[in-house]
This record gives sequence, C-alpha cells and structure tokens, in this order.
Amino acid sequence: MGLIILYLFLNLFILGLFLNDILAKVFPKEHLLVSFCGIIFLYFLIDLFLRLQLQELPTLRVQPYLQLPIKRNSIVKYLTFTGLFSVFNLWPLVLFVPFIVKIVVTDSGGLAALAFIVSLMGFTVFNNYFALYLKRKSNLNGWIFLIAAVVIILIGLSDFLWHLFSIRQFSYLFFGNVITRPVLALVPVLLGAAMYYLNFLYLKNNLYLEELGSRKAAKYKSSTEYPFLNRFGSVGDLVANELKLVFRNKRPRSSFIMGLFFMLYGLYFYTNPQLNTDVARVFASMFMTGIFIINYGQFMFSWQASHFDGLLVSKIRFSDFLRAKYLMFTLVSAFFFVLTTPYVYYGWKTLLIEIVMFLWNIGVNTTIVLFFANRNYKRIDLSKGAAFNWEGISGNQWILSLPLLIMPFVVYGPLALLHHGDIGLALLAVIGVVCIFTRPFWIKKLEKDFYTKRYTIAEGFRNK
Amino acid sequence: MPKASEINNMITVTNLRKVYNGVTVVNVPHLEIRKGESIGLVGNNGAGKTTLFRMMLDLIRPEAGEVLSKDEVVAGHENWKTYTASYLDEGFLIDYLTPEEYFYFIGGLHQQSRAHVDDFLNGIADFFNGEILKKGKYIRDLSKGNQCKVGVASCLLQNPELLMLDEPFANIDPSTQFRLKSIVKDLNKNKGVTTLISSHDLNHITDVCDRILLMEKGVIIKDIATNSSTLTELEEYFGVGQMSSFASVKVDPEENH
Repeated sequence: MGLIILYLFLNLFILGLFLNDILAKVFPKEHLLVSFCGIIFLYFLIDLFLRLQLQELPTLRVQPYLQLPIKRNSIVKYLTFTGLFSVFNLWPLVLFVPFIVKIVVTDSGGLAALAFIVSLMGFTVFNNYFALYLKRKSNLNGWIFLIAAVVIILIGLSDFLWHLFSIRQFSYLFFGNVITRPVLALVPVLLGAAMYYLNFLYLKNNLYLEELGSRKAAKYKSSTEYPFLNRFGSVGDLVANELKLVFRNKRPRSSFIMGLFFMLYGLYFYTNPQLNTDVARVFASMFMTGIFIINYGQFMFSWQASHFDGLLVSKIRFSDFLRAKYLMFTLVSAFFFVLTTPYVYYGWKTLLIEIVMFLWNIGVNTTIVLFFANRNYKRIDLSKGAAFNWEGISGNQWILSLPLLIMPFVVYGPLALLHHGDIGLALLAVIGVVCIFTRPFWIKKLEKDFYTKRYTIAEGFRNK
Repeated sequence: MPKASEINNMITVTNLRKVYNGVTVVNVPHLEIRKGESIGLVGNNGAGKTTLFRMMLDLIRPEAGEVLSKDEVVAGHENWKTYTASYLDEGFLIDYLTPEEYFYFIGGLHQQSRAHVDDFLNGIADFFNGEILKKGKYIRDLSKGNQCKVGVASCLLQNPELLMLDEPFANIDPSTQFRLKSIVKDLNKNKGVTTLISSHDLNHITDVCDRILLMEKGVIIKDIATNSSTLTELEEYFGVGQMSSFASVKVDPEENH
C-alpha cells in the first residue's frame, strides 16, 4: 500500500510534468493556458467525488480528550484542523504546480503563478472541508451522501452529455481572470476559510461521539449460509467464515472488488497491438485469475488477527485451517477465471493462457502466499477502512511479491526467448497441476513450519 | 510414564516460568489440578493469572517448564482441544459473525448438528436474557457483557471436561452473574466438569470454587480449600494495606489523650 501510494504520486507528478504536452494534444486548437484553466474546475469536481468516497473522518482522535479539562473550542479547533491532514490535499499541488512553473511563470509572470497556486490551495481547502462536512452530515442521514453524489454526477452529465453548460468555460472564466487580476485568488481563499468556519461551527454544536463517528446507522445483520460448502465439513465451515470475513469487512472487501477491476486488464492488454504477445498475456492472465490470491493473500493471516487466539484453542487442526485457505483461493480464483473466459473473443490461445495461469495460481502462488503468511506477524484491525490504510504492512509484502511476479517468467521466459513459448506454457501448466496434486505434502510442510512460529505470530497479532 | 488408565490429574504444571523483559511474570514450580475440581484463581492486576491461563492453552511459550493436560504435554499437541473450552477475552470470538453463525461454527467443530445447537441455545435462553439471539447484530456490535455471554455459551456448547474462564463476572449484569454461578456449579457438581475461573470478585469466587489459588507477582502464594473462613482470609489479604493504615490513624496514641 505504501509503495502503491508513492507510485500513484510519482504517476501524478509525471502526469503533471507532461501536462502541457497532453493538453496540447487533447485541445490542439486552444491556447495552452486556456485549456489548462479549463480543466481545473473539472479536476476539483472529480476530487470532491473521490473525497466523498475515500476520505476518512478524523474523529476518534478526540475521544480521549473529551472528558478531560480541555476547552471545547480547543478540541474543536484541533479536530477541524487535523481534517487537513489528508493525502488528497497534496494531489492538486503535485499535479498542477509543474505546469504552473513551466508555463504560467514564463507566460504570465511570477505574480500570476503565485495567484494560481494560492487559488489552487484555496479550492483544495474548500473541497477538503466541504467533503468532510457532507460526510459528517451524511452520517446522520445517509440520503445526503446519495444526493451529493447524484448532484455531482448530474453536473458532470449536464456538461458532457446534455451540453447544458460547460464546466471548462466556468473554470476559464475564473482562472483566466486570475491571470490578469491576481487579487481574485483571494476568492477561493475566502471560500476555503468559510468552509473551515462552517465545519468548526458544526463540530462545536455536535461534539458528541455518536454524531461525529463514522459509523452508519445499524442495519439488521442476518446470518448467511453457503450450502455448497457443507460437503467439505469443517474445512467448508472455515471457508464460509473466511468468505464472510471478506464480504463483511471494508478492507478485505475492497481487495475483492479491486480484483473485479483487474478483470479489465484484458481489455487493455489484448486490444493493444504492442502488447499482443504471449508474454504479455501470461502477465495479464496471472493477474486476472490470481489477483485475489496476491491482494488478499499477502496479508494472511493478519485478517484473522483479532480472533487468532480463539482459533488456536479451538478444536481446529491447523492442517484443516490450511486446507480451507487452499479451498478458498481455489474457489475465488475459479470465480475470477470464469469472469475472464469471455476474452476467448481474442482467440483460443488467450483462453488457453488464462487456463494455464489459473492452474499456476492455484497450484504455485497459493503455496507461496501461505509460506509467507507464516512469516507475517502484523495485526490488522478489520474495523478500519481500506483507503490509505497502512496497517499490517511490513517488508513481508515486498519480499512476497518478488517470487509471485518473477517465478512464472523464470519458467516461461527463457523458453519463450528460444521460441519454444508453447513448451514454456505446457511447463507452467504441468508445474501448476503437480503442485495441486501434491497439496497434502505442502500442507504438511506448512503445518510444521507454522508450529515453529505460532507463538510469534499469535503474540504479534495480540499487539494492538 | 503414568498409566493411561489411571489419570487423575486434569492439569499438571511443573517448573513453569514466563519472563517478560527480564521480569518473571509467572513462576509456578508445581501445581496439580485433579479431575472434577473447581478452582478459583485470584490476585491483583499483574499477578500473572491471564498469562498462566495462556500458557495452559499453549498460546504463549514458557521460558521453562511445561503444562500437562491429562498427562499429555499441551504445547504442540491438539488432543486437549477436544475436551477443553475456554474464554479469556473477546479475542476468542469471531466478531464479524452473528452469534448464531458463531455457535453453529463451534458446534460444527465438535460434530454437532444445527438442530443440536438450536436445542442447546433454547436450553440457555435464560442466560441470554433475550439479548443475544435474533438481534440482527454481529458479535462486534454487542456490548462487552453480551460478548462475554456469547463466549461463555460457546464454551458450554462444547460439553467440555475442562472449562477455563478469565474474569467472566467482570462485565456481565448481576442477574447473569447469578445465572453463571449456578451454571458453573451445576457443571462441576453434577457433570464432573473441572472448572478453572479467575475473578476479582471474592464473593463469587469463594461461592463457586472449592479450591482457591492466590497469586502474587507470578507466584501462587496460597492454595486453600474453600471453607467458611476463606472469604475473610482473602479479604484480609487484599485489604491489608488499607486496614493497617486505617488502624494506625485510629489508634494514634499521640492524638488519643
């Protein structure tokens, strides 16, 4: 996750560096500055939408202070101010400042550039507090979130679909004038300050935990069953529990949903003529059928940290515990594999490679992931969300990703280079199948390995 | 090697020691718990009660010594899990399940059918007091006291021969405390279950248990059979600092003339 964020920022930064070239290509007829001014409001609209979904409310941090003799105003100020600490607030700067430095400074002078940056910051602060305000409101009334989302989508649609008005023109209207009259930069600053004050007032009048909390009104939680798992006995029960873990908790659920997005990988890889090679397909197929193994498996058994003691003293044989992991990975990967089968449209070879990589994933990658799970001592608190959650991340994940990503190419790569790619594919499939049929052996090995590490794992999981 | 046919000890502890950061938190040279005994474990915070429990359940590695359950080493073995039920804290519960799902899961581990589990749950409806089942909540959304009820009930569901509860009275309401006491007594007296319970409530513990172990800084300093004077004896131990300071204030000779 940490590296992912860094990677995202790097991407944004590079995007920012080449923003002028991109804009020149997309809007070839317009002056560069005009198109730049045009996209800023658009950016902030999307930014607001993303914030509504992803930004976390800074709430529980004040809990310990509420009953202490600290002035309400100080607590509220603290709470409002810490709302600023969000990665979202860095994005516009990373994205736009390179352009401003490259183009605006030379084109319109330093004062205009400064005015640009100041107004960007003003709008960022405004968006930040506006999103937080809406989120706080929607904690009390879920409809507010829905209405806000719909309004944002409607604004987007009325520009791009219905052409009622143009966001880009509005944006240019403001930023175009900032260039000539830098004083206008004070407008977004004032807007930001007003939003801050609105949040401040709201929090001051609602400083009760139940109203601040990010917990939504409780729905009736019903019990679920997976009847098809019953035939597997207690292993099936363990799988059922883990599937519930995935679907009832934010962070594991988003790792599953992310897997669904990875299904689009095929569209990118298979339609791109430059990537129309078997090597690229091996890569794409491995991710599409195995994304859940990688994404969810890398944090095993941390997901179960909060009740690991209970598992250890229950009448569960660890070998059954491992069998359940294998079964779950097989089922979920099979599900993702089925979703990728329509890519047969791009040729039978495509499907064949997907089958091979599916076998490889449930044969080899599952075992690798479980091997590293025995070396993972970090607790994960399931109640926390997924966005920018660094919990449970250690060097383990980076080391784990190496064999996962490299192994198939160690087997396949040399043969493909020697123009025996098909033999390479066959070899991948054979290794996958052999590993599937030798699972009892691997389970024994993993069990033995676990018994030497279980105290360390359990103790790590107890450390909050 | 002891004869398998004549195992009378449920738990045997020998030379057990646990050290954290150079401080010995548990040091039990010898302890035998016979089958059918009801043991109460008392001691102030940090006396090592939970650590002792954890070592008996093979959750932490002792620096030295071992715990035997029915004369078989606990560490690395799984046989004891078939007849031992324990609830130390919420970490024993799978908290994203509904209580029903959790009971079915635990029952399933002991080869009990759903109907059997349902029967059992009907049987202890009193203990639940209408606050656990069919409430549409996951275990994590229950209060601490109600989570404790779920944990205790899941222990009972397993028909254990050895029951271990760590401070079960701490979070539950008075009615449930009384019900729990009568359940534990019934298990011990009528079904021969060995019970091992820790508590800070001296009234409850002397009421339920026949033998009291008093721990101080990791050492069992008293091992007494419960009788009519046990409660007073324990109260004296725990209140000793307070009593003497009171006493010294009262009979201050300087102030008295």
